Amino acid sequence: MSGQGQVSFRNIVKMHGEFAALKGVNFDIKPGEFFALLGPSGSGKSTTLRILAGLDAPTAGRVLIDDKDVTSTDARDRDIAMVFQSYALYPHMTVAENIAFPLEMARLPKAQIASAVQEAARKVKIDHLLDRKPGQLSGGQQQRCALARAIVRKARLFLLDEPLSNLDAKLRLETRAELKKLQRSLGVTAVYVTHDQEEAMTLADRMAVFMSGEIQQIGTPAEVFARPNSIDIAGFIGNPPMNLVPARYVDGDVIIAGHRLKTTTTTAGKRDVVVGLRPGALRMTEGGLGARVDLIEDLGDTAVLDLDCAGTMIRMRVSDGNIPSEGETISITARPRDIHLFDPTTRMRL
Amino acid sequence: MATTAATSAGIASEAPRSDFGRVLAQRERRFAAALLAPAFLALLATTTFPLLFLVYTSAFRLDLAMPFTNGFVGFENYQVLLSDERFWTSLLVSLVYTGSTVALQVIIGLALALLVMDMKRGQGWFRVIAILPVVLSPAVVGMIWRTFMLAPEFGIVDFLAINAGLGSKNWLGDPTLAMVSVIAIHTWQWTPFAFMVLLASLASLPEDIYEAARLDRASAWQRFRRITLPLLRPAIVMVIIMRTMVALTAFAAIFTVTGGGPGTATEILNLYAYRKSFTELSIGYGAALAVALLIVTIIISGILFALRRAK
Repeated sequence: MSGQGQVSFRNIVKMHGEFAALKGVNFDIKPGEFFALLGPSGSGKSTTLRILAGLDAPTAGRVLIDDKDVTSTDARDRDIAMVFQSYALYPHMTVAENIAFPLEMARLPKAQIASAVQEAARKVKIDHLLDRKPGQLSGGQQQRCALARAIVRKARLFLLDEPLSNLDAKLRLETRAELKKLQRSLGVTAVYVTHDQEEAMTLADRMAVFMSGEIQQIGTPAEVFARPNSIDIAGFIGNPPMNLVPARYVDGDVIIAGHRLKTTTTTAGKRDVVVGLRPGALRMTEGGLGARVDLIEDLGDTAVLDLDCAGTMIRMRVSDGNIPSEGETISITARPRDIHLFDPTTRMRL
Repeated sequence: MATTAATSAGIASEAPRSDFGRVLAQRERRFAAALLAPAFLALLATTTFPLLFLVYTSAFRLDLAMPFTNGFVGFENYQVLLSDERFWTSLLVSLVYTGSTVALQVIIGLALALLVMDMKRGQGWFRVIAILPVVLSPAVVGMIWRTFMLAPEFGIVDFLAINAGLGSKNWLGDPTLAMVSVIAIHTWQWTPFAFMVLLASLASLPEDIYEAARLDRASAWQRFRRITLPLLRPAIVMVIIMRTMVALTAFAAIFTVTGGGPGTATEILNLYAYRKSFTELSIGYGAALAVALLIVTIIISGILFALRRAK
């Protein structure tokens, strides 16, 4: 490995004409970290990755890799390997030639290339397909070929642009686990772009959540899940995402549909707030908030209930066998520390 | 008894159905043949018949200047042809003309296509302007070049040559310059065709593999050599095949510019056959020359098509 793979973005701005794709992005990635860029489409995460790769130039700001300013360095001099969403395999070359290409460009001796190709192909389990052309491979095999081409060079940075999005659901889960193992065994810094919060949650050591051209939160998946910074992140992370209910805050309590709930958050006096409640943090209890069960989605080991609390829709996850029936009225509550409060105007956490 | 009846009824009900199908298929075939017939007959009359008549004529001595010597001679015309130095010279001229014009068209066309691909603006205009020479008649192109471009003193090319300090040249009078001129004219007219085909092919190549190649540390030249060229190969081979066939049988532009001269400097095989047939009025020998050109064209296209299929 030719470097540590430490990355810093300093106030990166990217304009497309009048439109600001990135509005001043800052983050640091530690060597060996699996870092996810998570966000809905159009939030700027792919633009960030392309700027890091050197495929696009930022309008302003600086990119540092291993403490060296590479903002104006061409992609081919950055020592970065990337897996594209479309895989971007060379259609006229066999799998072996595809994997060998980056090594040939580095002018390695032939024998060394051959053994490196074998090793990379074995790591992603396509060593039996080396003579095929990309057109003769399934989607999953193409994806592995793209992975092998990226890992064969042992670059200091490993970028992945939604690498699993073109795979079917079962294969995606399998590959996800393999990807994590692969990154750990290589010890390389990986930057992973995805719009799938589940992928980011399961793969990443840390993640940056993008919303309309800005990073709204950086942290471990657990941190982001436990303490979302804003209403937008709260509504994006988790499956199903957090319930966001308009409510009134009065001296340490929130009032939802006429019912008082204790919170641990303290803020001044009386005000309007948005209350965030994780579906899994809601409990059925006596004397809580009354709710009618509108719909039950049974997922086998758990069930998601759509509840109607005096006109407000709340979703709740139930995991024990005690599932109410549709049309039944139940009473729910949440522990004070599971109640998140957000400012309805700034949309930020209180 | 009942079973037999049932069986025979079964057969009876099946037989007419397959008969009906056969009749339908036959009727459809007949209708298809009827639709095809006019075009087929027209093709026979306009291409196959003249071709066969040409081959037939080549077996005769048919000399309008000396009609008393006319008659069937078998392969004599071909024997004469093989020892005819002018035939070999014109064949060589044809090959040089074809090889150099096709090579220039592909190289310049590809270079232009690569340049235009990177143009942010004005690509549409460039395409429209580029197509203009192609839509002109080769005879008109020949006239334009002879009068506007290559005329001594007044022609644009000669004017530029004088201003560049090369002095006025006899562009169409000097054997070497005349050859260069007719090659330049053909290249000028037909490069846009190669350019358009290659540009379309270039535009269809995916952007992302070039980005992947950049990250794989391929230089611009390596990207061209290892990715663009192999992916454009089918289009390039197609252009070569199409342009070779046309260049081998080119006629009008050279005929109007030099008429094959000076002497036989630009006399391609086609022009030699024409001169033999319609200037010297030796129709039989002219036909043999035309058949020879046909054979050469078939052999060369055969080789090119074989190359296309090969990896």
